[in-house]
Amino acid sequence: MNDQVGGKQRRARFQALCQSLRPDLLRFAFWLSRDRALAEDVVQESMLRAWKAQDSLLNEAAAKPWLLTIVRREYARTFERKRLTTVDVDELIAKEEPTLAAAEEQDIADVRAAIMKLPDEYREPLVLQVLMGYSTAEIAHELELSGPAVLTRLCRARRQLRAACGEDTTLDPQE
Amino acid sequence: MMDHARYRSAIMADPRDPGAELRAHRESCPECLAYSERLLKFDARIERALRVDMPGAADVLPFARKPQSLAGARRWLAIAASVLLGAAIVGGIWLTLPQRSLAAAVVAHMAGEPDAWQRTDIAVDAPALQDVLKDSNLRLKPAAGIVSYASSCPFRGHRVPHLVVQTPKGPVTVMVLVHEPLRKSMQFEEQGYRGTLVPVPGHGSLAVLMQDSGVSAAEIARIAAQVDDSIVWTR
Repeated sequence: MNDQVGGKQRRARFQALCQSLRPDLLRFAFWLSRDRALAEDVVQESMLRAWKAQDSLLNEAAAKPWLLTIVRREYARTFERKRLTTVDVDELIAKEEPTLAAAEEQDIADVRAAIMKLPDEYREPLVLQVLMGYSTAEIAHELELSGPAVLTRLCRARRQLRAACGEDTTLDPQE
Repeated sequence: MMDHARYRSAIMADPRDPGAELRAHRESCPECLAYSERLLKFDARIERALRVDMPGAADVLPFARKPQSLAGARRWLAIAASVLLGAAIVGGIWLTLPQRSLAAAVVAHMAGEPDAWQRTDIAVDAPALQDVLKDSNLRLKPAAGIVSYASSCPFRGHRVPHLVVQTPKGPVTVMVLVHEPLRKSMQFEEQGYRGTLVPVPGHGSLAVLMQDSGVSAAEIARIAAQVDDSIVWTR
């Protein structure tokens, strides 16, 4: 009986945790995959994996990075399973456009389209930094890169975005 | 000594968190200060662009089981199997489908929801079940029996009803795959699951499977036929 009650409590706590973090996890998965449907699949599978592995989460305060790591790995697994070797970025942007046009001004839509076109290796650290609030060291740890490599990628990501969005790049650092 | 080029490289990598050395340079260099401010404005646009709207994102639970009392629950189908459909399924051959196949995807989905497989006589409540079924334009006849688990699950880019029906042979999982048309029935046996994929003309297909507990292929085919028979398509 106590086990049952404990199980229910554990489950309720886990559900509450997932509900609060799900929007951010979905955004992260979306920016990894650039595909809403795939992002939803990845996040749902990730949550189930997280449920099974919840004993490995020692500190609930660390739940977000723990779940983000699970989402990254689950996306990688999906990628391997589906062998997504090519992505038509223009098609992905077109798919997102109705949402963008309805909810956001053109300016933001342009930045979003430019982010979609960033290479994965630049987009992912940028999302972790800007959206998830990771420090350079945390990104380096998550992506298994050196600190300088992360800084280089972040710098290149912003430089490409600024150029794509028509910003004045004359003072931007060159390679 | 920090120069303009080094400052701009560093600040472009992380405009929001400059270290002491960068801050010192910025305070002594109006040009780099102005540059930083422009970068911060652009970063605010990046953040807004990244913060895509995810309507209903917090509404989906990792598990969607809503148990209720026994009242209203009915026993599993007492009606005899649809011989015709059953025969068509039994006529198929057991296939070990490649990993990327529909059957493999169904089995992979099962692995993530172990809680769904409990033997129980507690049914999900009717509104919850209706909610899961409505987007696929179907309802279940009362004779379908005890539906102990109902969840609208993401599956290959769509949300699909994932149900567990309690039968005398044990819990049976049914996935209603309206977006997965099939030309013919297929039976599969993978990773401890045994099941069948059944075409439903005009409504995609059904996946019906059990954990492998000695239930024969013919029995699963019979159950699949009963499930098919208990569905009422509303459109």
